[in-house]
Amino acid sequence: MAEKPIISIEKVIKNYPVGGKEFRALKDITLSINKGEFAGIVGPSGSGKTTLLNIIGSLDVPTQGEAHVLDKNIAELSHNEAAKLRNYNIGFIFQVFNLLPVYTVFENVEFALLLQKNTVEQRRKAVYDALEWVGLQDHANKRPDKLSGGESQRVAIARAMVKRPKILLADEPTANLDSENAHGILKTMKMLNKELQTTFLFSTHDEKVMGYLDRTIHLRDGALEKDIIENKTTSV
Amino acid sequence: MKLALKLAFKNLWGAGTRTVLNVLVLSFSFVIIILLNSIMDGWDQQAQKDSIVWEFGEGHLLHKQYDPLDSFTILDGHGPIPKNQLGITPILVYQATIYPQGRMKGIVLKGIDSNQTILELPIEKVKTSEAKFPVIIGKRLAESAKLNKGDEVQIRWRDKNGTYDANTLTIVDVFDSNVPNIDNGQIWMDIKTLWKMTDLNQEASFFVADKNYKAEALPLWRFKSQEALLKQLKDLINQKKTGQAIIYLLLMAIALLAVFDTQILSIFRRQKEIGTYIALGMTRSRVVRLFTIEGSMYSILALIVGSIYGIPFFMYLAQVGFAVPPADQKMGIAIAEVIFPIYGIKLVLSTILLVVISATIVSYLPARKIAKLNPVLALKGKQQ
Ligand SMILES: Nc1ncnc2c1ncn2[C@@H]1O[C@H](COP(=O)(O)OP(=O)(O)OP(=O)(O)O)[C@@H](O)[C@H]1O
Ligand SMILES: [Mg+2]
Repeated sequence: MAEKPIISIEKVIKNYPVGGKEFRALKDITLSINKGEFAGIVGPSGSGKTTLLNIIGSLDVPTQGEAHVLDKNIAELSHNEAAKLRNYNIGFIFQVFNLLPVYTVFENVEFALLLQKNTVEQRRKAVYDALEWVGLQDHANKRPDKLSGGESQRVAIARAMVKRPKILLADEPTANLDSENAHGILKTMKMLNKELQTTFLFSTHDEKVMGYLDRTIHLRDGALEKDIIENKTTSV
Repeated sequence: MKLALKLAFKNLWGAGTRTVLNVLVLSFSFVIIILLNSIMDGWDQQAQKDSIVWEFGEGHLLHKQYDPLDSFTILDGHGPIPKNQLGITPILVYQATIYPQGRMKGIVLKGIDSNQTILELPIEKVKTSEAKFPVIIGKRLAESAKLNKGDEVQIRWRDKNGTYDANTLTIVDVFDSNVPNIDNGQIWMDIKTLWKMTDLNQEASFFVADKNYKAEALPLWRFKSQEALLKQLKDLINQKKTGQAIIYLLLMAIALLAVFDTQILSIFRRQKEIGTYIALGMTRSRVVRLFTIEGSMYSILALIVGSIYGIPFFMYLAQVGFAVPPADQKMGIAIAEVIFPIYGIKLVLSTILLVVISATIVSYLPARKIAKLNPVLALKGKQQ
């Protein structure tokens, strides 16, 4: 299968200005991820996981090097093009859920579709499909503050998946969940990965998450340390 | 736009008390602006009507040397009544001094034909009086000189040769007019009586024109049309309006400040939400628009809330009128004891536009900042 990688990172460097100096958060990262992978960036706190995920998600741009996502050079996208890429093709899941508090579960999930051109009926169906994937059909009219942590993260998954994105980026999705809920949402995501062929990319240092991953990309101090694909270690 | 409206409404609804407060303050601005201006407009219209029937008629034909605003011009500002000029009622103005209760008081005598019909002035009352010098005065002079109907008062004046003369006036009527210009410091009598007193037979200082008047070039006289006379009145009322504008502009400034403040605070507190919108694929300019619409929505809600309590109040006021405090009655402009406000379409629409546009501007200014926000930091909830 010589398909083009869905994500391809080449010699990416990311510097942050800190106290007049430049702090290098990513050091010459090169890697590629293929369609349908269930992969994770792992590493200790401060190793650059979120930074890398944000660049892939077009929320940030590399200082040097190139990041191509779905054949698009992240650094060359305009604000509007990046917004469109995220709206149609990239789903985000955050550690702290980030549900919109004044909207119901249904409305939270519906949100991304409102930015697209869909009919009310199409949206309704898509939202209920997504809620069914995460087992929350009966909670559609609740407000986020009435949900447990596990339920909130499920809503976040439904919200990210409702538009059937090509890529789902999950930044420490289990960090605020107990073990049972963590396993629950991981199973759900694994299922969605199989069913919808969505490419999943996690950032995590949670052992539970790593148990589900087909591939772990290890970062340390902003550098790629090792890349383990289904127990085959690729040295860097 | 529809999405933004829906989101804005939900967010405002979710904000609770703060929304209620902003909307209330803003709705006060609406109501006060309309209230004050409608009263001024009602006053304006009433004053115009009163001034026409009591003072202006269809215009004034003034002696070239006579200036109603300058009492020094009274002495020379009169001349013979022009022959063959139709549609004018002559008025002769003359200075004199009266001595009510022994106090000295300078006044202006005004003589007018006692058969005139152009002005509302009840000068015909002098015709039925037996007194030698029957006169009428307005309620304002009556009050300030403590004179009542039936009273007699000593008067002294100089005839045209400068010789002092004295006699006794009899007040046969005190009239009640909203127009202070024909009342304050003035005593009205039959022009024939005044001609006799002053030896200025067939002379006048100015004329009040009626519908039959046709403008003709007269060397001694200049015509001031009704519009020109009303314009002075309008200017005075507009001046007052400007003064009042300070009151509601201040109130509006407070309301807008509250909206502005809420916007700043909500952008500060809702960083994560903004980051989430962007992560979900909203463009930054769309988020700016969302927050701007949220702010201008305050003015829309204020309009609705203001209508709920404002419209019944305005309707009530249109029925009973607005009682003018006695102090305001002493101003130099025609003013009634009760003013009935006038709610013009122009007033209402321009008020709505003023409030909605300014609320939108103060909402947009802080929201602009969102366009420069770094979504990564916003998602972390970091203040930027
Ligand atoms: N905006 C920024 N300005 C300056 N330094 C930053 C910024 N964002 C991240 N960093 C730094 O870059 C490094 C990598 O940060 P990043 O958030 O990517 O780490 P992480 O691996 O996600 O850590 P964690 O597991 O704690 O989330 C850290 O040392 C962090 O302090
Ligand atoms: Mg992180």
